[in-house]
Amino acid sequence: MFKHLVDGIFWDIALWVFTIGVLWRILSIFLVGNKKDLSVARTTGMTGAIAANISRFFPRSEMQSRTRLHVIAGYMFHLGLFALLFFAAPHILFVESQTGLSWPAMPYWAFIVTAQLAFVGLLLLWIHRVMDPVTRLISSADDHVGSILTFIVMLTGCMALLEGFEGLRVLHRFTVELLMVYFPFSRLMHAFMFIPSRAFTGAWFGRRGVKA
Amino acid sequence: MSDKKQSRIRRHRKVAYSLLSLLVLTLVLPLIPYAVAEKDETAGKVFNPGTELWRDVRQRDRDVIGTTQMKSVDAGVLINEYGETWRHFRMQQLVPYGAALMGIVLSIILLFYLLRGPLRLQEEPSGKKIERFTVFERTVHWFTVAIFWLLALTGLILLYGRFVLIPILGADGFGITASACKEAHNLFGPTFLVALVLLFLTFVKDNIYARGDMLWLLKGGGMLGGGHVSAGRFNAGEKIWFWIAIIGGLVLSVTGLILVFSILGQSREIMGLSHVLHGIVALVVISVSFGHIYLGTAGVEGTLGSMTTGYVDEAWAKSHHDRWYAEVKAAEDGSDKIVDEPGLATEGKS
Amino acid sequence: MAAMKFYCDAERCIECNGCVTACKNENEVPWGVNRRRVVTIKDGEPGERSLSVACMHCSDAPCAAVCPVDCFYTTDDGIVLHDKDICIGCGYCFYACPFGAPQFPKEGAFASRGKMDKCTFCAGGPLPDNSSEEYRKYGANRIAEGKLPACAEMCATKALLAGDADMVADIYRKRMVNRASAALGKGFQLREQNIGSGVDLKGKVTN
Ligand code: HEM
Ligand code: SF4
Ligand code: SF4
Ligand code: SF4
Repeated sequence: MFKHLVDGIFWDIALWVFTIGVLWRILSIFLVGNKKDLSVARTTGMTGAIAANISRFFPRSEMQSRTRLHVIAGYMFHLGLFALLFFAAPHILFVESQTGLSWPAMPYWAFIVTAQLAFVGLLLLWIHRVMDPVTRLISSADDHVGSILTFIVMLTGCMALLEGFEGLRVLHRFTVELLMVYFPFSRLMHAFMFIPSRAFTGAWFGRRGVKA
Repeated sequence: MSDKKQSRIRRHRKVAYSLLSLLVLTLVLPLIPYAVAEKDETAGKVFNPGTELWRDVRQRDRDVIGTTQMKSVDAGVLINEYGETWRHFRMQQLVPYGAALMGIVLSIILLFYLLRGPLRLQEEPSGKKIERFTVFERTVHWFTVAIFWLLALTGLILLYGRFVLIPILGADGFGITASACKEAHNLFGPTFLVALVLLFLTFVKDNIYARGDMLWLLKGGGMLGGGHVSAGRFNAGEKIWFWIAIIGGLVLSVTGLILVFSILGQSREIMGLSHVLHGIVALVVISVSFGHIYLGTAGVEGTLGSMTTGYVDEAWAKSHHDRWYAEVKAAEDGSDKIVDEPGLATEGKS
Repeated sequence: MAAMKFYCDAERCIECNGCVTACKNENEVPWGVNRRRVVTIKDGEPGERSLSVACMHCSDAPCAAVCPVDCFYTTDDGIVLHDKDICIGCGYCFYACPFGAPQFPKEGAFASRGKMDKCTFCAGGPLPDNSSEEYRKYGANRIAEGKLPACAEMCATKALLAGDADMVADIYRKRMVNRASAALGKGFQLREQNIGSGVDLKGKVTN
């Protein structure tokens, strides 16, 4: 019963909400448009956009020791999650069953290692967020819900690893659906927006000849 | 006179010696052919190929590993001698004694709480806070806690679910639960090693034996006698817990990894022994952790804050860790960095 | 209540692995899983003997005792079976089993164990007899068809005996008497004397 809902109507709803929600959020941001730039352009802005996109991957040198944990745990989590999401064999099989598209999966051991990296990263980041008075103060419910929901999705996924119980697969899919519905309305949107927003800042300052 | 007597004695002695050598010879001579002849154990017996074979199969006198076409672990071993021992350990010892251990520790804590109540501060809280744990230290602590309890709960469900959860969830329901627990346990296992290394590096410097620890122990940490005993940043009890957690955790990790990577080709016996160690150490560490949790929360007034906000009241520091308090105060002299509002304290290095 | 048992006659087994092949063929077991194996003791030395071994369907089965999800059961025929819908692949049955019977598929690099698989005495599993799902998960259910295990039936030298414990014991006892009398060197064969020949060999037992 629940299984049919999760594999059927719930999935459709989640997919629609996710797709339309994400598009709506992105469009609404782009449709705001830019304020007229009255300054004399020093560069095209393109260089600034690219530079900012690249430089943001590295911590600022003054911040290096203070942000060491964020950087290491952050990379562990995001790279781990990315690899898990797109290169775990069960995910690829799922995408293939839905769309017919397929690509090579990573070996099972790499799958497990990336899952572990992602878990370590996420736990460290979230606990640190709660423990550090500053980040705790500037975190809203959205940040916590996003972290916890992601953790639950990963946990149910790892619980279903044996691929031997329908119930566990359905549970994982259900939590994924919850995440998909939540996604467009939360800061998780940064997954889509981090490149454009870095580009915007970089270009904005770049045109003024300032390194962002 | 004496001559005669002496010669008689001599004669008697000769007779005695001759008789003795005769006796020895009659006993030994017939054995010579046996010593010289080649041994033939089957001589005179009907050879029974069966006994020899079954003694080998049963691994009675020696370890016998046969040859076989199968490539799997221990395929050449016909009878697994260790299996019954392991079964006995897990079902007759680990399960009941483990439950008893946890039950006894919990009851002692409950009894202690009811009889003695929480340890109070010696003086009124001053309202002045000092930093006990940095952001990083607290992050590492809770990171370890999260993984430890994830592993402990899933492990305990595997161990006791058959007796406790099958009656509630039914066989199918528990199958799902157990599978989820097993996969989570196996996946999170190796991450516990990461936590352990972080925990060790973060806290080891304050957990080395120092003068005064023995005295603290002799006085029972002030728990039994009453009154507070002098201590540094960590008292001897906390140090012991640190080392139990580190060493126990290391044993759990190593044995756990042996169990997880069943594909490395280690024998059943190695895995069974690893499981024995894993089970015993897990239950001991879990039981001791009950005590740690009690002392960190309900057991000692004002302690929990040190791990949540990172700050403790000065009165707490004076009561429980006077020498550490003195050190902090000495270091602070001049810089005067007393912070009243934990929310504003951002010095914590991260 | 019958008690189905195997007995492998070491004086007859010629290590042909026919039983292994028969089992794989009959039950289409997954890769890497061998419900039955033949082990040779003292290979190439005097006194070499081979034995074919699979699950022995223990009366007080250690696997059932240690299974954390309690998924084993014993049929009325004394056959020890397990439920793959509940098994979590923990491997404990393999640690406890005296005969190394439990097997685990999917043992690639780093892989965790899949659900356990073992000899079913060709009696399938808890699913409806001879349903396709039963066949997929547990292999053939020859017992429900009134047949005996494929491995023993296939055995060319009739070394591998399978059937009710009493009958298996009976056959083996006669063989032993024959061998003993032959060994006593009188050239006296019970079989020639028409003692115990054939009569109950037509029963449900493969000799
Ligand atoms: C550090 C890394 C660890 C690893 C790699 C690990 C791995 C394992 C493995 C492979 C098993 C066998 C269960 C199965 O395969 O389904 C197991 C069982 C178990 N583990 Fe761990 N474990 C670790 C840490 C812990 C910790 C920290 C605890 C508890 C505090 C714990 C408690 C248990 C218990 C109670 C069992 C069940 C034993 C039984 O059912 O007989 N483990 N562990
Ligand atoms: S699996 Fe092993 S322990 Fe279980 S019944 Fe078969 S031979 Fe006995
Ligand atoms: S592998 Fe399966 S059958 Fe064997 S003990 Fe574990 S749960 Fe039970
Ligand atoms: S009885 Fe059936 S399942 Fe068991 S070893 Fe023989 S052929 Fe295989």
